Amino acid sequence: MIPELGQLTLTFAFALSLLLGVVPLVGSFTANERALLVAKPLAVGNFVFTLLAFIALCWAFYHDDFTVVNVATNSSSILPWYYKLTATWGSHEGSMLMWVMILAAWTALVAQFSKGLPLLMQGRILGIMGLINVGFIAFSLFMSNPFERSLPFYPVEGNDLNPLLQDFGMIIHPPLLYMGYVGFAVSFAFAIAALIGGKFDSTWARWARPWTLAAWMFLTLGIMLGSWWAYKELGWGGWWFWDPVENASFMPWLVGTALIHSLAVTEKRGTFKSWTVLLALGAFSLSLLGAFLVRSGVLVSVHSFAADPERGVFLLIFLLIVIGGSLLLYASRMHSVRSQARYELFSREVMLWGNNVFLLTATLVVLLGTLFPLVHKELGLGSISIGEPFFNQMFYYLNIPFALLLGLGPWVRWKQQKAAPLLKPLSMVAVFSLILALGTLAATQSVTANLALLGLLLGAWVGLSALLEIYQRLQQFGSLSKGIAKLQASHYGMTLAHIGFAVLVVGVAMTLTYSEERDVRMEIGDRVVLAGYEFELQDVYKLNGPNYGGEAAELDVRTVDGRYVTHLHAEKREYKIQRMVMTEAAVHARLSRDLYVSLGEALPGNAWAIRVYVKPFVRWIWLGGLLMSLGALIALLDKRYRRPTTAVEVRHA
Amino acid sequence: MRKGLFYIPLVLFLGLSLFLLSGLFSDPRERDSAIIGKPLPAFSLPDLMNPQQQWTPESLKGETFLLNVWGIWCPTCNAELGYMSQLRNEQGVRIIGLYYVLPEDPMFGEVFDLATLQKDVQSRLQSFGDPYQFNILDRNRRLSMDLGVSGAPEHFIVDADGIVRAHHIGDINPQVWRSKLAPIYQQWAAKP
Amino acid sequence: MKPLIALLLLVSFSVLADGNKELLTFESEEQRRLYAQLTAELRCPQCQNQNIADSNAVVAVDMREKTHELVQQGYSRQQVLDYMIDRYGNFVHYQPPLNRITIWLWLLPALVLLALFLFQLKRRAGQTALRYRSDQSAEPAPSAAKAELEQQLDNIIDRYRSNKP
Repeated sequence: MIPELGQLTLTFAFALSLLLGVVPLVGSFTANERALLVAKPLAVGNFVFTLLAFIALCWAFYHDDFTVVNVATNSSSILPWYYKLTATWGSHEGSMLMWVMILAAWTALVAQFSKGLPLLMQGRILGIMGLINVGFIAFSLFMSNPFERSLPFYPVEGNDLNPLLQDFGMIIHPPLLYMGYVGFAVSFAFAIAALIGGKFDSTWARWARPWTLAAWMFLTLGIMLGSWWAYKELGWGGWWFWDPVENASFMPWLVGTALIHSLAVTEKRGTFKSWTVLLALGAFSLSLLGAFLVRSGVLVSVHSFAADPERGVFLLIFLLIVIGGSLLLYASRMHSVRSQARYELFSREVMLWGNNVFLLTATLVVLLGTLFPLVHKELGLGSISIGEPFFNQMFYYLNIPFALLLGLGPWVRWKQQKAAPLLKPLSMVAVFSLILALGTLAATQSVTANLALLGLLLGAWVGLSALLEIYQRLQQFGSLSKGIAKLQASHYGMTLAHIGFAVLVVGVAMTLTYSEERDVRMEIGDRVVLAGYEFELQDVYKLNGPNYGGEAAELDVRTVDGRYVTHLHAEKREYKIQRMVMTEAAVHARLSRDLYVSLGEALPGNAWAIRVYVKPFVRWIWLGGLLMSLGALIALLDKRYRRPTTAVEVRHA
Repeated sequence: MRKGLFYIPLVLFLGLSLFLLSGLFSDPRERDSAIIGKPLPAFSLPDLMNPQQQWTPESLKGETFLLNVWGIWCPTCNAELGYMSQLRNEQGVRIIGLYYVLPEDPMFGEVFDLATLQKDVQSRLQSFGDPYQFNILDRNRRLSMDLGVSGAPEHFIVDADGIVRAHHIGDINPQVWRSKLAPIYQQWAAKP
Repeated sequence: MKPLIALLLLVSFSVLADGNKELLTFESEEQRRLYAQLTAELRCPQCQNQNIADSNAVVAVDMREKTHELVQQGYSRQQVLDYMIDRYGNFVHYQPPLNRITIWLWLLPALVLLALFLFQLKRRAGQTALRYRSDQSAEPAPSAAKAELEQQLDNIIDRYRSNKP
């Protein structure tokens, strides 16, 4: 009964989104105020009904309703209750419904927080979001119905959730990631509304900015959590694999980052207009492309859902309409828009342009690396693989100028900047970066650490520069305390995000250079020394979990001079229903390093294969991501995004 | 000129979607083989049922054959035994098996035992059909690696001179045989 | 923090106390590094999308063993790669081969980077005729009053912009 109700409410939502996609848009061209006013209640109604549908699916999972095909294939009665709930978004169908629900949530949020927008703009934005809702609800309802029943013959037990997904990460990673992906639909709708209206002034940019920041914040958190999850769950100590599905999330992130910076130029200086609009279209288009790549099966990935060409065709047509249509609109409308603003070569405008150029080139690298094997094969030239060596090489070279620019950018004023006043602070930053980087490396006594040296240098350059810049800025208000209160929140946000980037760069470079790993054979009582830590295997015993068996290992870790560090508990689980072996690595995390142990197979002679890692600075990678999203959050809270606009604007048509 | 610039994103996107469309209708897991056109790699391996008999590339020459990499542990391989037996009986296709031995898991007390394996293979062939002229035992999977085998089942067509002419990853069913393998097999089998 | 890093990194190059516990032994650190690098950039031909280091598929295990064997025999990185590519094709290496199609993987980003920068330069060149001239010959020392004034001005401009139709 409940699943049918879910399907019914989803159908209602479909009807409401159709109305939302048609009525206000028509009203915006016929100057019908009532048609425009109806957008808000429709958006809220659409959200309420999709939420009910989502809750109905959760209910079916929670109550082990195996008559629902989706539940039977992705859950089981012996699954712990919290994984039953997360199994709701563990399959293609369920995750699509969550995507739809989150899209409807963003639409309702825009409706709620758009009081400051002119009615016309509001109607157009919500109408466009309504049309996107129509597409995805249709996909969910007609192509991948999560409520499909298998009556009258249904299994008495489910097929269980993929063991990889039975993890804490599954609870929060997909919702955050989807919040990010779908959040760019708001920036997209703002851009399309602006294209229709032909108005791209700085007010437009200021309206779009907080939404873009919010989406970017969620996407950053989502990607970061995914990386952390893969690190601890896959048992190989890796944190980024350049897998097509990871790349699919990385591309909108890169363009979204460019968009945040480009919006700043459009807001403050009223220029880069056509560029900003293109990026706003691009961020969501790449989200859509990502959804296509993950769900159509055109690429081989560890994470992709089961392939179905029919779904692929539907999504491709949807992509053609949304992306193709918006780019056509862009081409036909945008060429007449010109920016008047003037600026010198050494100005913040050009700095931010540089930021955009590098981010866009990076996006192109990821796009090429992801899709080139497909193109190569379709051209009949044979199969090739593109992975870590290629991407690492390209990002290595792109990152150097990018980070140098990033250290310089915040110092440079709009319109024009003289070089002379910057020489002193920046040479100070450069000298201290050099001292910091060399000092750290001197301690390692290492000769072959170019990557680490470079990472430390660039990280220190960006981080120290950001700190000094905000310090000087604060002092300009007379006293530090006065400055702290007066400086705009968005400036704090920027500084924090830039420091986050610096932390990330240091983390990546240090982990890549100094990680150590060993595969060892250990009997109980054996000790192994790696990177100054001594691991002692104390016990291995049988495990008996709710839906898995397996073995667990207990280890003690001491430093080589005998100081106790920690106790580690690593598991190797064999999930009963899916007959899959999973490693649950033991991790002891500190800011300066992770100790990471995973239990392998049993070896002859009462011994076990054990993989031991010491990974310096690996936490910095996720800490950097966290700081970046925190920066976005602070910038989001800037007062100027919440300043109410007056009635003059509301009547503008 | 300036106007044209704004159409660039659209054109690039449309070009890309052409490849995405064609990608939808091809198998992303299919990869091309590096061995086609090359002679069989050197080996000397025993017969599965009669270990005194050693097979080498030389001893296989003389007639085009289908080399099938398989194992009784592989359900897909078992499933195609029936159709391949049909090919042998009705079309006279010469099929030689390359038996792919899985590594033993000492955790479950597995040890390699030839006699048990022979018995298991025989009973399997009796119940599903026996398409093989004989089976070559690839105990440590070295020949399989030299052939570029990534798992089972895989199939090679080898001509009378011992040159590999086709490599098919996955099972043989009537559709695959008719459209992909039969033309190549017949072309090389017909050669004097 | 810093002494901690120093301590950590100082000891990070000590090797295993008991080398014979290792599942794979190497004659030198270079060989160990080469093996780690190779198994990370060789692709498991049977898996979804994994390198052979991270996969437990039979073929990945075999390829790991072979890589170890070849590295121990003194094969260079390129020789091991050639050995694998001979058998499994270019598909098996995560770095694509260089040919007249794949060259665009490197050329295209470089060209786009260049084009976007040139675009900005050209755009700026067009503006030089109407060049904005600042009459500030030297930046005055930032004063408290000025910073506050600028902030106020910003606020006024913001307010003005949001009221503008």
